[in-house]
Amino acid sequence: MNVTDYRPLGSPAELAELRAALRQARDPNRRRIRLCTTGCRAYGALEVLERFREELRQSEKTLELEVVGTGCHGFCAAAPLIEVDPWGLFYHGVTPDDVSEIIEASLNGRLVERLLYRPDPASAPVKRARHVPFYAAQRKTVLRNCGRIDPTSIHEYIEHDGYAAFARALTQMAPERVVEEVTASGLRGRGGAGFPTGRKWGFCRAAEGSPKYLICNADEGDPGAFMDRAVLEGDPHSVLEGMLIAAYAIGAGEGYIYVRAEYPIAIEQVQAAIHQASQLGLLGDHILGTGFSFHLHMKEGAGAFVCGEETALIASIEGRRGMPRARPPFPAQSGLWGKPTNINNVETFANIPPIILNGAGWYAELGTERSKGTKIFSLTGKVVNTGLVEVPIGTSLRHVVFEIGGGMRQGRTFKAAQLGGPSGGCVPARHLDLPIDYESLQEVGAIMGSGGMVVMDDKTCIVDIARFFLEFVQAESCGKCVPCRVGTKRMLEMVSAFTRGEGRVEDLDELEQLALHVKEGSLCGLGQTAPNPVLSTLRHFRDEYIAHIEDKHCEACACPELVQSPCHHTCPLHMNVPQYIGLIAAERFEEAAALIKEENPFPNVLGRVCSHRCEAKCRRGDLDEPIAVCALKRFAVEGFGEQVRRPQSPPVRRAEKIAIVGAGPCGLSAARRLTLMGYATTIFEALPVTGGMLRVGIPAYRLPRDVLDEEIKGILDLGIGLEVGVRVGESVTIDGLMDDGFNAVLVAAGAHDSVPLKVPGVQAKGVCDGVVFLRESNLGLDPPVGRKVAVIGGGDVAIDCARVMIRTGAQVQILYRRTRDEMPAADYEVQAAEEEGVAISYLIGPEEILVDEAGEAAGIRCVRMELGPTDLDGRRRPVPIAGSEFVVEADMVVLAIGQRIKLPFDESSGIELAPDGSVQVNPKTLSTTREGVFAGGDCVLGPSTVVWAASHGERAALAIDAFLRCEEMAEPFEYRPVAQSPDICWAKLSDTTAVGRARQREIALEERCRSFAEVERGLSVAAAVAEARRCLRCDLERRER
Amino acid sequence: MYMTIDERRLEAFDGETVLQVALRNGIRIPSLCHDDRLEPTGACRLCIVEIEGQRGLPASCCMPVSDGMVVHTHTEAIEAIRRTNIRLLLSDHPNDCLRCEGNGDCLLQDLAYEYQLDFPEKPHEKHPNVLVEDDNPFIERDYDKCILCGRCVRICEEVQGASALTIAGRGFEARIATFSDGGLMDSPCELCGHCVDTCPVGALLDKKRTGKGRLGDLTRVKSTCSHCGVGCGLILLVRDGKIVAVEPDHEHPASRGSLCVKGRYAYDFVHSEERLTTPLIRRGGKLKPATWDEALDYTAARMKEILAESGADAFCGWCSSCCTNESNYLFQKFVRGVIGTNTVDNCARSCHAPTVAGLATTLGAGAMTNSIGELENAPCILVVGSNMTETHPVIALRIKQAARKGATLIVVDPRRIDLVRFATRHLALRVGTDIALLNGMMNVIINEGLHDEEFVEKAAEGFEDLKGAVAEYTPERVAEITGVPAEEIIAAAREYARAERAAICYTMGITQHACGTDNVLSISNLALLTGNLGQESAGVNPLRGQSNVQGACDMGGLPDVLTGYQRVDDDLARGKFEQAWGCTLSPTIGLRHTDALNAMGEGKIRCLYLMGEQPLLTDANAGHARECLDKLDFLVMQDNFPTATMDLADVVFPATGWGETDGTFTNTERRVQRVRAAVAPPGEARLDAWIIAELARRMGKDIGSGEARETWDEIARLTPSMAGISYDRIEDQGLQWPCRTPDDPGTRFLHADLQAGTRKAFLKPTQHIPPAEVPDEDYPLVLTTGRRLYQYHTGMRTHHSEGVDYVMGEELVEINPADAGELGIADGDVVKVASRRGEVTARAAVTERSPAGTIFMSFHFAETPTNLLTSGALDPKSGIPEFKACAVRVGKAGTAGRRRKTKSRPKARA
Repeated sequence: MNVTDYRPLGSPAELAELRAALRQARDPNRRRIRLCTTGCRAYGALEVLERFREELRQSEKTLELEVVGTGCHGFCAAAPLIEVDPWGLFYHGVTPDDVSEIIEASLNGRLVERLLYRPDPASAPVKRARHVPFYAAQRKTVLRNCGRIDPTSIHEYIEHDGYAAFARALTQMAPERVVEEVTASGLRGRGGAGFPTGRKWGFCRAAEGSPKYLICNADEGDPGAFMDRAVLEGDPHSVLEGMLIAAYAIGAGEGYIYVRAEYPIAIEQVQAAIHQASQLGLLGDHILGTGFSFHLHMKEGAGAFVCGEETALIASIEGRRGMPRARPPFPAQSGLWGKPTNINNVETFANIPPIILNGAGWYAELGTERSKGTKIFSLTGKVVNTGLVEVPIGTSLRHVVFEIGGGMRQGRTFKAAQLGGPSGGCVPARHLDLPIDYESLQEVGAIMGSGGMVVMDDKTCIVDIARFFLEFVQAESCGKCVPCRVGTKRMLEMVSAFTRGEGRVEDLDELEQLALHVKEGSLCGLGQTAPNPVLSTLRHFRDEYIAHIEDKHCEACACPELVQSPCHHTCPLHMNVPQYIGLIAAERFEEAAALIKEENPFPNVLGRVCSHRCEAKCRRGDLDEPIAVCALKRFAVEGFGEQVRRPQSPPVRRAEKIAIVGAGPCGLSAARRLTLMGYATTIFEALPVTGGMLRVGIPAYRLPRDVLDEEIKGILDLGIGLEVGVRVGESVTIDGLMDDGFNAVLVAAGAHDSVPLKVPGVQAKGVCDGVVFLRESNLGLDPPVGRKVAVIGGGDVAIDCARVMIRTGAQVQILYRRTRDEMPAADYEVQAAEEEGVAISYLIGPEEILVDEAGEAAGIRCVRMELGPTDLDGRRRPVPIAGSEFVVEADMVVLAIGQRIKLPFDESSGIELAPDGSVQVNPKTLSTTREGVFAGGDCVLGPSTVVWAASHGERAALAIDAFLRCEEMAEPFEYRPVAQSPDICWAKLSDTTAVGRARQREIALEERCRSFAEVERGLSVAAAVAEARRCLRCDLERRER
Repeated sequence: MYMTIDERRLEAFDGETVLQVALRNGIRIPSLCHDDRLEPTGACRLCIVEIEGQRGLPASCCMPVSDGMVVHTHTEAIEAIRRTNIRLLLSDHPNDCLRCEGNGDCLLQDLAYEYQLDFPEKPHEKHPNVLVEDDNPFIERDYDKCILCGRCVRICEEVQGASALTIAGRGFEARIATFSDGGLMDSPCELCGHCVDTCPVGALLDKKRTGKGRLGDLTRVKSTCSHCGVGCGLILLVRDGKIVAVEPDHEHPASRGSLCVKGRYAYDFVHSEERLTTPLIRRGGKLKPATWDEALDYTAARMKEILAESGADAFCGWCSSCCTNESNYLFQKFVRGVIGTNTVDNCARSCHAPTVAGLATTLGAGAMTNSIGELENAPCILVVGSNMTETHPVIALRIKQAARKGATLIVVDPRRIDLVRFATRHLALRVGTDIALLNGMMNVIINEGLHDEEFVEKAAEGFEDLKGAVAEYTPERVAEITGVPAEEIIAAAREYARAERAAICYTMGITQHACGTDNVLSISNLALLTGNLGQESAGVNPLRGQSNVQGACDMGGLPDVLTGYQRVDDDLARGKFEQAWGCTLSPTIGLRHTDALNAMGEGKIRCLYLMGEQPLLTDANAGHARECLDKLDFLVMQDNFPTATMDLADVVFPATGWGETDGTFTNTERRVQRVRAAVAPPGEARLDAWIIAELARRMGKDIGSGEARETWDEIARLTPSMAGISYDRIEDQGLQWPCRTPDDPGTRFLHADLQAGTRKAFLKPTQHIPPAEVPDEDYPLVLTTGRRLYQYHTGMRTHHSEGVDYVMGEELVEINPADAGELGIADGDVVKVASRRGEVTARAAVTERSPAGTIFMSFHFAETPTNLLTSGALDPKSGIPEFKACAVRVGKAGTAGRRRKTKSRPKARA
């Protein structure tokens, strides 16, 4: 049999004969380069292909090496990519310039090392595609031929078992048998609703009327879904074969493939496939010499999303406006031209040949109890490895995102994944371990849909996402029914208002109600699912909506109407970061320092120990690394703050007196602001020293004492009364203060207690509390330090204790029960500790502190842990591994698993507490349940950071002022727009070439391990200016509100 | 089957929807998009219900019933969603009820009231549907108020078949638009107002009634349309003595809530300033106002004078197919009983005389055998020579509906008329070759044995003759004569013959020929041959023209018959009338219209009494007609408006017209139905009946009071076929004659006796005769004439109604592009059309609608008196002139100037 001509095949035997001949003609040793020329086209794959062809022509090597353009290989993030047979070598990011080398290497059986893929920069290169983690965990059934065969060649398809399933069905199975087989396989429609395919076929087969029609819905329209496209482009014959089998089973003589016009390659491939199949007599009359006839037409859809709905699609094929109609009658009874019609989507049809070929039993082994087989997901968004992923149904979301998807880009936090496109829902981090199947997804308010999977990180605003999907469905609503046409519009209006910080919290209930009514009241699937993104985000992320409405705060910094710049928006003090960075860039350092000192009560302190939330959200970070905001602040204040005129101690202009309990960052900030407003303030501090946690919590190598002293002095010098060593609750009470004529009291107590570790042996000598240890150390009491210290915990206190002890010459080991990814301590602190010689052991849980005969700690009996399912807080729970106990020797054990608040009063004071023991306040005004008493800082927030405490101080001052004036607080504290400063510019616009950020000078490692001298030494002028000039000034994009 | 709705066990029928069962049983389910006339769509989502055992909340309007179904219509969940949906609609609706024309007639308003909902307090974005500046005179589209229920789109497509509207855009911006997104005048819209009628809110309104009163201010008077013979039911809305609007009568058995553009919008002629308001007498060559006494006395005196001088044969009376049955009855009673002649006729002579002559011969009655409503269920319909979408628009709706349901529709017409859009096949025969075509079809039917042998055997005589006659008409030969391909003829013959039931509809394309009666006989032959008579949804259906042309004939407005086709030469019948009227009647058949005209020309007829007719425009070869009328000694004219005939009249009586007169009309399906006086006549205008009675009195005879009901009772007494019809019985709905007894329900279709085999009909073989005048070198084109949708007859009513002339204000010469190209004529050019008898000028409309070699004109415009051109040839059997064919030449007379806005839709659609 001649394998090059196209004659109609007269019988199934002739088809088998052709297949055998094709296989025989294939030289197993011939080098074959498979290049994706569909999805990778956007990355220059066609140029690569052209270069291959040209070079092969010139070098006359076409006999030894062939190059074929294939469909999508799936791993889009590695585009353009090729595989080299017979070894299955995998090269990614291929450019035309690599072609010569690849040809040369392939002919000689060598590797092109530099084009090999590395899962991460540190790991060894992977040679073969099947070893690439992205592929290794997949199970390709539908995508079996995608990237493997030349989609334009029916011969290659036939060679790879193509049309064998059809031939089997046609010759060995009665139509009813085919329906039974598909039913038994458990295949469910992959278009979204998941209706059992076999049952659907059965309805149509049983329906009265003729002719019957078969339609393939290839109008894939979900944003972010492209699996059908990949199948049509990469393996069109599998769809044709699936349709042939279905047509035979149902008794349809005519069919349509409805392909959206936006898929030009798919259209080309489908047309070619229909043509070739017709030529070979696989379509048309008397197929393979039997009585079965099937005529297939392709119809281009004009891009209406609603035409994915089957009745709308039918209307569109009939030449009418694509609008859905009510069912019943179902298309199986009355579909195209009023005749019985069966519609399945591309992926469903492509599933059919392997089911018929391998049997329903084989298929039903894949997947879960009620959801069989595999499902393709198009993995997109903030994940490292984007592309097409085919996995057995029931695979966990975590597996797809983290194993196959390689985790989050830039190491950011997984926030949620939108599953099922605009009809689907958001699955939050706490459901990462959810098995992806039809039922489980429904339980959490999402749907399988067509398999779109958009991964979102913490820079994705949930409200904005809801708005995006609503905008989409609203624009795509056909307009026929009221709930969908007007309802989604009103929903969009409400959600859009939320993104602008408008609306009321009660509107959320109204939105939810409307969403439910649209869902229940709409005519077709579009309207019935359009509210899903809203409903699921309201369910999982209601707080984020409330933050937008009440606090005008968008944590992801994505809503332009609320966010002038992410740094300003994220800063608890809402400092005008872009402006001072602009001033530094323009070398106007004094002005920068003045600005910072005006807005920030602790500029020098926070220039060192700020948790700089701003940097995490910095847009520059998307490009290379975030701006070193904290270091720039220190640079300006430290270098040029002296020149800034200190505020004179202001006269007392107000009659009211204010008492402040606690001289920590919150209390001092509030005192400073209130004094500047003209109030007389007095601070009562329990410790003998001022500064609170600033002094007793932060070691000097991070915050030198002189810096702290000077900053506090500057505040107190404004004319603030101070009484140290006065423990409120003992010598003084809140009632007493009120009686003494204080018109308002701010409780700003810190979290000076520890969370106790509940294991045997904690009372032993040598076991100490981390917070206590730091306090004593910082107060200069020189607490004893062991020789071999084990620190239990993973927070800042643990790290600080470890680093302090290292400096005393001890051998320090940190034991943490999760992994470094979950560690609450700042990453750079952990890194510094490691540099200084602290050993950190992960996934270790303490079971008992071993005590020697002297009653002294001798070690810790530990157990190894592994990470289990996700906790309610989104972190994975550590689970002990049975039998993995071991002992860590230690003569001193520091317990640092968490801090606790220590309050100077109980509820008898009329101040109510929250269930977690913190003071219950109105979050806007920080007022407690007792009139005139306010609370802020750690006693409200729980153990927090300096900048939050300072921010609370500022907020409390404004609230107390408003309270004393008997006014409402003018507007939420967060809602503090800053002046834009387009005048601050420099000669060159910011440079967007990717460069790392400036590093501070540091003292030598040996020196730092021996002393408490400050480690970081600030930025040089040149480094600071260069760093400031990296700023993208995203604030200037925004209009003034 | 039985189902349960809201705990009530109800009977339901297969094919019904839940909503239908609920509404039928008085269970109210709110809805905005539902209209009985339309296929359900489920768009408004208000009629949602809960069905036990089913997921979701399906729309009851779309949900087919099934046995044992349990439905809940008003659960709390459903009501909550309904409330939300109404709120959503209100949120996108202008808060302008106070000034909205739809106030009080708005379903959204009703629902807001029912559910006690307000417009939303906070402003919402409104959809961007701005008012479309529409230049049509009838329909106001204010899409700010549109709720997008889609009823207008659906009714335009499903009922009217015009498909002028669509939903454009997506999402919130979805809106109703024409396909070109322009105004209705530039769309296929037929201005029928169905969309206005179905619009549940105030988005679509009648412009003409704007500001003229809210629903509650208006009195509703049920009546019958004044225009064509369909006899649609309508409601006149009256305020302060004026008809301010017309609404369709949804209960009417024939029109079922449909009206055409004329019925809906051409009503205000009643209040035209140009109405005749005072009697006029020609004095010193001029018509001068006179009192009724003067005019009546003068007329009586002149008539007596002429009667004394020349006898009754010098008299002629022409009554009117747009006057009531009662007026026509009295008129012919006057002519026959007071004057003493049978020379009475009406304009049926120019339209369906061949029908009366032909069908009476073969079948026994010259009327539509079936009812209009039955056509919708005919599996096959053959439409011959009937441009019914323009001439009988509402009957055309039934045909379109049948086609929608899958009926085979065969259109036989030289022109590519609009109905072709819905047709299975179009046989575009040459003008005047109908007999050949029909014989050809019968040839195929007999040859292939497709005729109904059993029926022919029991119910028809003359089969062998017919068989012999049609034998020569092989498809090939017929193809040569007609220009229709042989295979089309064969296919059409098979389709017609094989259909379980097949109906034939024809109009003047059949009758207005010199062989008009033979044409009718051929049609009768075809129906008899295939047994398509005497049963429902089949038959032979001549569509009568004027509103009461059927009635004018039924009432004896013909020279040979008295009421109910009782022959004047039948002594028994005549004797009955002589006894009733108290006088002797002439047994001599009178002169037909066309013969009478010649008698006037010859001076034999000296006096003409003309009621509501305009022979100078309607008669073929109108020049000749004027010459004849000019010879009269005394011409009395009784009409609503001044007409061209007034130039020749000696006395003019201002008569009341439609809307001012009580009485009955008989529509084309033999339905006697009421017309009612809704307003008072203008000035001195008086009822026709009063005028005739007064004149009779002054001539010395009493012919009764002229009171309508009294007159009808007299008619019923004297007319066996209508004896069972009384005003009491037709108060709400008319009755179809024959209706012989007070409990006779009337007759929906005729000739059931043929099927029963108790009577025989006659097959009358016919032969092809070419038109009297065929094209030659001097006059190379065929002129065929007809009517247009937007005008009626001589325009007496339409020209005096606001807006109609704006839409279609001048005559157009429709000419094929090939002919136009040859003659150098461009669309819109002024052309001169000349025949051997005269010439006229009009603008050309170059269109494929006219076949090459044939031009088309109507006779609606006095400015373009098309009948100056038409042939004087008559059908010898019925006396009808050959309006449909004469030879003309066309020449360019001027270039395209500014053309008036016309909406003739000359371009055929694919």
